[in-house]
Amino acid sequence: MGNCLKRSTTDDISLLRGSDSVRESSSDQLGQPYQEPIPAEDVSPVYYPSPSVSRSVVQLTEEEQVKIAKRIGLIQNLPIGTYDGCKKERECVICMVEFLVGDTVRCLPCMHTYHMKCIDGWLMRSLTCPSCLEPVDAALLTSYETT
Amino acid sequence: MANIAAQRIKREFKEVIKSEEVAKCAIKLELVNDSFTELKGEIAGPPDTPYEGGNFVLEIKVPETYPFNPPKVRFVTKIWHPNISSVTGAICLDILKDQWAAAMTLRTVLLSLQALLSAAEPDDPQDAVVAKQYKENLEMFESTARHWTNIYAGGPDLNKDFNDKIRKLVEMGVEEHQARVALSSYNWDLERATEQLFS
Repeated sequence: MGNCLKRSTTDDISLLRGSDSVRESSSDQLGQPYQEPIPAEDVSPVYYPSPSVSRSVVQLTEEEQVKIAKRIGLIQNLPIGTYDGCKKERECVICMVEFLVGDTVRCLPCMHTYHMKCIDGWLMRSLTCPSCLEPVDAALLTSYETT
Repeated sequence: MANIAAQRIKREFKEVIKSEEVAKCAIKLELVNDSFTELKGEIAGPPDTPYEGGNFVLEIKVPETYPFNPPKVRFVTKIWHPNISSVTGAICLDILKDQWAAAMTLRTVLLSLQALLSAAEPDDPQDAVVAKQYKENLEMFESTARHWTNIYAGGPDLNKDFNDKIRKLVEMGVEEHQARVALSSYNWDLERATEQLFS
């Protein structure tokens, strides 16, 4: 089996970041004030088979590739929303910044909500909720079963 | 340093400063540099433990990937504890390794370390010699830990017997800390400690 992650890198990343990535990359050279520097992932993608292990895409074993591909698939199935100001959580506990109306947020099965960018960075390392430590995959499976 | 890490540390720092633990002098946090990559922590030894009355300084290094990865923490103050290396200050604590979660903060880390001082886990040791003593001779462990707290962390209990033994070794030309380590490791048996030092 070839390296499945290698070629689809751009897709994986853009999917994880939602529709923003298209705008980001095209307007990159204009140097807008709110522009983030291009993360290293864009140049040579780095993945985290486990939280403290980081590897560039070419170093991943086949087993790790499968694990990460599954993880990306699972993350994509978690609902994304726009913060409307009426959720009980006021702050994203990952970056510790208050949610602003219009922020893109992701909601985990345990109902904890984070900025999408923040939680995706965490989930790519560990499929647990950073607040309650509930495994996200187990919770997802249960919610599939009940519906 | 990545934006999110520096931003979080800034906010956490403010949070700790305002916390009631700081007000009670149980924990302390200071910046070491302007880039928020290194901090100095301090925890007070918990009451009813051999660490009571001592102040323990911690080195905290914040990785660029914080809060996705835990801060790197070690004891600067020498301490006698099964889960902390008496040589390097390295800590064996699950939340600083695989049980870290992005919602944890420097405040919760400091409080967890304080809890570790109250409840050692000798079956998951960082320092095998200390853990062995803890399991085989708890009383000896406690007086040794109290002695280290007195010497290195400003604790109140002076142990005259231990000090006399150390002085004897120092008079033989052994460096003081080395003498303390040897005696601590051999349950304060002067003969065996001397044997080990001069073998």
